[in-house]
Amino acid sequence: MNKAKKRHPLVDAKKPNLLEDTYPYSLPPLIRFEGPVVENIDGKAVEFDFGAVKDRNILISDTTFRDGQQARPPYTIDQMVHIYDLLSRLSGPNGVIRQTEFFLYTKNDRETLDKCRSLGHKYPECTGWIRAIKGDFRLVKEAGLKETGMLTSCSDYHIFQKLKFRSRAECMDSYCEVVEAAFEAGVRPRCHLEDLTRADIDGFVLPFVERLMEMSSQVPEELTAKIRLCDTMGFGISYPGAELPRSIPKLIYKLNQECGVPSDRLEWHGHNDFHKVHTNGGTAWLYGCDVVNTTLFGFGERTGNPPLESAIFEYIALKGGLCEIDTMVITELADYMRSIGLPIPDNYPFVGRSFNTTRAGIHADGLRRDEQIYNIFDTEKLLARPPRVAITDKSGTDGVVHWINEFFGLKGEERINKIKIHKIARWVIDQYDEHGRLTAISDQELEAKVKELMPDYWAKYKAS
Amino acid sequence: MATVEERVKAVTAQVLKIDSDQIKLEDNFTADLGAESVQSIELVAMFEEEFGIEMDEDAALSVETVGTAVDFIAKVCKEQGVDV
Repeated sequence: MNKAKKRHPLVDAKKPNLLEDTYPYSLPPLIRFEGPVVENIDGKAVEFDFGAVKDRNILISDTTFRDGQQARPPYTIDQMVHIYDLLSRLSGPNGVIRQTEFFLYTKNDRETLDKCRSLGHKYPECTGWIRAIKGDFRLVKEAGLKETGMLTSCSDYHIFQKLKFRSRAECMDSYCEVVEAAFEAGVRPRCHLEDLTRADIDGFVLPFVERLMEMSSQVPEELTAKIRLCDTMGFGISYPGAELPRSIPKLIYKLNQECGVPSDRLEWHGHNDFHKVHTNGGTAWLYGCDVVNTTLFGFGERTGNPPLESAIFEYIALKGGLCEIDTMVITELADYMRSIGLPIPDNYPFVGRSFNTTRAGIHADGLRRDEQIYNIFDTEKLLARPPRVAITDKSGTDGVVHWINEFFGLKGEERINKIKIHKIARWVIDQYDEHGRLTAISDQELEAKVKELMPDYWAKYKAS
Repeated sequence: MATVEERVKAVTAQVLKIDSDQIKLEDNFTADLGAESVQSIELVAMFEEEFGIEMDEDAALSVETVGTAVDFIAKVCKEQGVDV
């Protein structure tokens, strides 16, 4: 055993300290920082002030209709228009979900874009997505868009193996020609540095971005090139000390501080191949990239992208307030997506059918005494989803009584105690002990039993 | 009329499906008589029904032995004006 180096005396208390500055319950747990964070970059200690994020204009962008659609059969036009409408409501008047991007290649793509814009919402702004081909600008111009993303793949896997350029110089010239065409067309280019986390940063990425910044210095501010940092294969690493090209802190620092790309023109686009996607997006925000690109429920190419709804809660946690975001729309979006056949796992955070459902009796006991013990925040207030208990042989009488109180909607002194529900608890136990049941008991079954075995309560609270 | 002790033992025997003659005042409901979680709730519910009283849930469920239950129920009956 290591020798103790510091003593930690008990701080006795007669009243609980529930750490409400961090866990206000009416909001998701707040993310608070103390002091600067240090990253070693090229042998120098560089400080980052994460606390500054509270005052920075960090934003979310959306690619549900582009990357999100690459993971599923196409949405219908009406479905996309409805989703866009809901995204706008979720975004709130401050436009936290600032932009969403659309394919422009088919008649349906263009009709969808027109219908979304005809709703008249200020946010999310509609932008396009094209290949880095000059001819594609015709589509952007015809659509009347002010901004479009374009693929400017930057790893040698893409430059040589996929795009078959003969040299990096040829590749860079080709990309810059397209950027020039965007400027000439009066369209703001958003250069998507595809496969950035597998690229030669010093040998290609930084020289290319420097050239983009030089080109941008010749055009009005509203046309200056934006840079999307595409972690195409999910290789990005958030840990301090990680090496380039995988280090998110170093990538952002180099583009932001060395190449001079302002934070509001940097956007992180992640993938979830190594289960790092949400944290990597949050990391990008903290190290100076203002925009995190997301998709609803993380649906996207292969393993998906940063989930938009998680970015919303991260945003609130970093800002310390709701910022007029209507979080209830997240539940509405999930219900709608399920209704059009998008599968959402039951245990998926924030919207899965069981995300705040406990099956353990001891947790149900905690919920019964104080829902804050086993609920992440006020999920009823923020998501219209009160914590629930699923009834199995592991739920115990605490689980059953919690279910019944929720079913009758009883609060405070009105809540029924365990003694009153003993017949239901016995029926549940017998299902497993006597009848060998292996599945959870459905809400419908329990409802029928409550009606049968607790007729007085049923008459009082349900028969009206 | 049966005493509180006799009535407590009779309810206990019925709920736990054991012979009331084998129940002793010092018996622990869980350790000696084998009451499981749901049976503890059933015992309290049956005591309430037998004596026509309402017991505080936490206090009633913290009673561990038959003898303590007899005393506890007698006290609640007195508080709630129930003759026993």
